[in-house]
Amino acid sequence: MIDIKNLHKNFGDLEVLKGVNLKINPGEVVSILGGSGSGKSTMIRCINGLESITSGTISVDGFNVENKQDLLEVRKKCSTVFQQFDLYPHLSVLDNITLAPINVLGNSKQIAEEKGLELLKSVGLEDKTLSYPAQLSGGQKQRVGICRALAMNPDYLLLDEVTSSLDPEMTAEVLEILKNLAKQGITMISVTHEIEFAREISDRIVFLDEGKILSDLPKDQFFAVDGGRADPRIAKFLSKMSEFNEKA
Amino acid sequence: MGYGAEGFSIYDLQLWAQGLGLTIWIFLISSILGLLIGCLIGLIRSYRVPVIGKLLMVISEFLKNSPVLVQLFLVYFGIPAIFTIDMTPGLAAIITLTGNTAAFIAVIVISSIDSIDKRQLEAARSFALSETIILRWIIFPQSLSVAMPMLVGLAINQLQVTSLISVIGVIDLTRVGDIINQRTFEPFIVWPLIGLTYFILAKTIAYVGTRLEKRFSAYRLTNEL
Ligand SMILES: Nc1ncnc2c1ncn2[C@@H]1O[C@H](COP(=O)(O)OP(=O)(O)O)[C@@H](O)[C@H]1O
Ligand SMILES: [Mg+2]
Repeated sequence: MIDIKNLHKNFGDLEVLKGVNLKINPGEVVSILGGSGSGKSTMIRCINGLESITSGTISVDGFNVENKQDLLEVRKKCSTVFQQFDLYPHLSVLDNITLAPINVLGNSKQIAEEKGLELLKSVGLEDKTLSYPAQLSGGQKQRVGICRALAMNPDYLLLDEVTSSLDPEMTAEVLEILKNLAKQGITMISVTHEIEFAREISDRIVFLDEGKILSDLPKDQFFAVDGGRADPRIAKFLSKMSEFNEKA
Repeated sequence: MGYGAEGFSIYDLQLWAQGLGLTIWIFLISSILGLLIGCLIGLIRSYRVPVIGKLLMVISEFLKNSPVLVQLFLVYFGIPAIFTIDMTPGLAAIITLTGNTAAFIAVIVISSIDSIDKRQLEAARSFALSETIILRWIIFPQSLSVAMPMLVGLAINQLQVTSLISVIGVIDLTRVGDIINQRTFEPFIVWPLIGLTYFILAKTIAYVGTRLEKRFSAYRLTNEL
């Protein structure tokens, strides 16, 4: 379980997270919605220890992210897929995927590569094994990003707007893969602007507004007229997003 | 041929070979030591080690911005005045060139590490990769690729700089030219030949450097989709 308790995060004088409480149980798929600048990325970055916490606690299966030793365990349990892919440009697709399994999990090169190949096959990139990231389209890069994350056998997958840098066609191909993952029962925390995608895959929807959780509801309730949408701020966000997605 | 001058002899060829050997030796040893020390300074600075990092940069700025000849005199005449050591011209040459090279290498290391996209390092950390692994497998290969052209340029420049050590009496290639010239009075034969030797050395460095550069930057040169 990921357990976030009274999380505060400041950047200097700017308070970005203002007491966030959130529990994510194994097997759950939770989508985080919220306007730009509401603190979604910061929250994800606090979970995998890329940002320090100002106050409050985050624990993952009992491991505390603020403890250096524990953080390693947290990072082994949580794999992140990034908005800008952030692949290692000097490594081949396969080496991008096997670097952490070999050096963190202690997998042999052969085992890591077999697993990597299998993952690449599952996302239709088996012919790109030896390509460099610069030779791939955005959608292909993100599929590699997903493989790199899955290669660690994570208990939790953290996704931060993983399709925001992609055009609609590539977005569709990446979302398709994530939908399949969600069906397979992997725990996912997904920050997204793709409302339809969130509606399809999520068990729960969390709405973040100016550093606070405005609503945390089961999916159906969130989208119900008398549920999350009853809040004018959420209603406004949803209508803005659906307008935006129609245009795209 | 001038009055009283002697002609060239086979002995000159031997002298030339000895000078060439010494120049290459001093160049190699000071380059390798300078590379090691420069990398260390660059890393200390890049990882923002307090105090030492700043101090090393001040020294490095001094070495970069003062004449090598002045540094050479400082080492050759200065160090024996303070410490009781037997300072030979060769040792002074190696110390000076090593320090000078290290200063330039440090700057190259810092700027090439700076040029790496930092988000991929965060990604690597998020997968629990250790800082050592990140340095070895992510930062090092990419900085090397960026640094290669600068390193080649520096090496060629430092090769020319070695000629200054002839001033304190090291019998390097330049000093050998001087010796032969004084005996033969054939400046227009001696100095072009000495110059040509440096030229060939420099071109060799450039050639090897370009080959290495291509190998290390394969990932940046491929752009087909
Ligand atoms: N490293 C940082 N330093 C200063 N301010 C930051 C930093 N990272 C994010 N912020 C600020 O924190 C706020 C929330 O950012 P973010 O978590 O990226 O929002 P979201 O992902 O919801 O769009 C924004 O106002 C942003 O400018
Ligand atoms: Mg964000």
